[in-house]
Amino acid sequence: MKRLQLSAIAGLMIVAMLALAACAPVAPGAAAPAAPAAGDAETAAAGPTTITWAFWGSPEEKASHERVAAAFMQEHPEIKIEVWHQPWDDYFTKIQALWASGDAKVIPDVAFLWPTPRYAAEGVLENLDPYIEQSGYDIGDYWPGLLESAKYQGNIYGFPRDIESNIIYYNRDMFDAAGVAYPSNDWTWDDFLAAAEKLTQKDANGNTTVYALAAEGGKWTKWVNQNGGSILDDYSNPSKCMLADPASVAGLQFFADMMNNGLAMRPADLNQAGGDASVFSSGQAAMILQNSSRVSTFNQAGLNYDIAPAPTPADGKRWNGAGGAAWVMSSGSDNKEAAWTFLEWLQSPEGGEKLYTAAGEIFPALQSVANSPTFLTDQPPANKEAFLTEAGASDVGGFGYFPEWGELSGSIIEPGLERVWAGEVSAEEGATDICSQVDAFLAENSYPQ
Amino acid sequence: MSTDTRVRARGAFRWRPDQQWEAYLFLVPSFLGFFVFVVLAVLMSLGISFSDWGLTGWKAFVGLRNYQALLRDPVFWQTASNTVFYIVTIVPLQLLIGLAMALALNQAIRGRIFYRLVYFMPVVTTIVAGAIVFRLLLSTNGPLNELLGNAAGLLGIPFSAPNWLGSSDYSKWAVVILTLWKNAGFTMVVYLAALQGVPQELYDAANTDGAGPWQRFWNVTLPLISPTTFFLLVLQLIGAFQLFTEPFVMTRGGPANSSLSVVQYIYLTAFRDIRMDKASAMAWFLFIFIFAFTLLQNRLQQRWVYYESE
Repeated sequence: MKRLQLSAIAGLMIVAMLALAACAPVAPGAAAPAAPAAGDAETAAAGPTTITWAFWGSPEEKASHERVAAAFMQEHPEIKIEVWHQPWDDYFTKIQALWASGDAKVIPDVAFLWPTPRYAAEGVLENLDPYIEQSGYDIGDYWPGLLESAKYQGNIYGFPRDIESNIIYYNRDMFDAAGVAYPSNDWTWDDFLAAAEKLTQKDANGNTTVYALAAEGGKWTKWVNQNGGSILDDYSNPSKCMLADPASVAGLQFFADMMNNGLAMRPADLNQAGGDASVFSSGQAAMILQNSSRVSTFNQAGLNYDIAPAPTPADGKRWNGAGGAAWVMSSGSDNKEAAWTFLEWLQSPEGGEKLYTAAGEIFPALQSVANSPTFLTDQPPANKEAFLTEAGASDVGGFGYFPEWGELSGSIIEPGLERVWAGEVSAEEGATDICSQVDAFLAENSYPQ
Repeated sequence: MSTDTRVRARGAFRWRPDQQWEAYLFLVPSFLGFFVFVVLAVLMSLGISFSDWGLTGWKAFVGLRNYQALLRDPVFWQTASNTVFYIVTIVPLQLLIGLAMALALNQAIRGRIFYRLVYFMPVVTTIVAGAIVFRLLLSTNGPLNELLGNAAGLLGIPFSAPNWLGSSDYSKWAVVILTLWKNAGFTMVVYLAALQGVPQELYDAANTDGAGPWQRFWNVTLPLISPTTFFLLVLQLIGAFQLFTEPFVMTRGGPANSSLSVVQYIYLTAFRDIRMDKASAMAWFLFIFIFAFTLLQNRLQQRWVYYESE
């Protein structure tokens, strides 16, 4: 009797486990009722098509995305949006696992993603060119060069939601106190350095107490490209590193000198101090180089600030990096028509772009939205045109558009430059060392192809 | 004494062949889990390391190509040398500090329970919280540099404040300091248990023979706790090989990859670069090293580890 019970319990446990295992792939597929609807157009009346929408972000950002989804569903009752949300740190590992599963029921139909070319190369993204052609979607409204960042082998695989328009935020009170005139829209590197000298405050030992500039290390691409330098000779199919060329080195050195002379905060120190919004708000830095993401923070804090386009070298040009995280469609999606409807709406001047811009969350990827009253409000900063000026100079040059770029940048270029920013080596030494490693990396990965 | 337990165990849980069937049945659920999530995963990573494997799956068999690419990768060698640095600093320092704390708190001092608690607290503290505090402590104008500066000032030594987190010369030390703070308490507790197992008669005998404190420590304490030292050495060597969280939360591996550990690089290769194949090759490379070292230690222990039963 006892034996029988034991076997029964053990047997039950196994059955329960198998049942669980069998259920697992099905359970998240709450989309199950939608599957027949998608397969058979006539049963569409049975209920809306459900698509899954994946993104990362803070709880506030999630709430904003959910408002956008609600607005879409109001306009398109035939489509139901289900949200798949993860914090930034988990997002990429988890979405990779979903794609790797190859199971259409759990693969998100539309997702927020970066870097787009890396994933396009893995075959998990849908080529959007046929949809664009069929629907007549206007790709001419994007800022120049921006769609390049979502292309792989010449085809568009995603729509960047926003563009980083990196401008100078300046603290008007600190400029007034130092007796420095506010920056003009066409100020030069020399004007910038002259102002920086006056804005910087040092103690008796020569240590800086108030910095003229706080800029994240990653912003260096602006100085290099403004000065006519570049990272690579070709950003899609590179054959050599260009960072050690004189024009590039001079751009890097401009940034490094500001740190070595105590005018700009070193990125490592900036990081420890809590980032540029923190040091700008507390008056530890008179200027920061940043995109539009700080506006709402500074407005809420009631800071007396304005913005200006970035200064350019006297014989250089204006340049802004064109790229950003993009909305993509999974090639494994089982509701591609509905996914495209949503994607097109998200990236339309009256749809998602307008909502995100009105919420103050993005500097829009579409020029028409940036030029509309939605963006040009009467809220500070007064000189909002500076964002448009800088974005109008958007171009390639900030990063590579080939699959191995993330590794090249993350393992070789940025770490190499960190030694320059820390003042351990000169820009020329650092760049020469980086270039020898970049060239070896390109050869190892058979570039140019 | 150990023989006694075995006899008793036999009495309580006697081997009964008629119950064999149920025993296996009961093992099946946990074994299935182990098989799917450990054995299968390990075997798959071995297969992946010999394949061209991106995100979605198998593309081709490539033999040793991933391993060869690894040997040519300068970043891999840098992370390997960083990891060696972590091993040769963290492992001995942790043993020494843990033993010193255990010896101190094994004395009849006032409030030793309180001190034991305090020193053990970092072990159960979240590493991320610890890292935030240490980032403040180690910042260029932070308390540690102030302390060092004052000390150097008193001694009349010239002192330039090290940038613990932002310079490639010091970042590894920042990780080492955090790791020691976090783990020394564990070493201490294990050593404390071992110290209390040393019979008082041996000390009494040593005293009678006229042995001083140092001789008692060297000839009685150290040999008798050597099995514990061996256990901790193996454990911490493996831990140091697999160091991930400490550099990840402290420096993110920077600057200039100067504090990046091998396991962190495996993670980046797999999930940032989406090269599951190269990451798997790296993992197996690391496994071979850990395995070889542990084997070596096992061999060497006959020379210095003292077991009472011998």
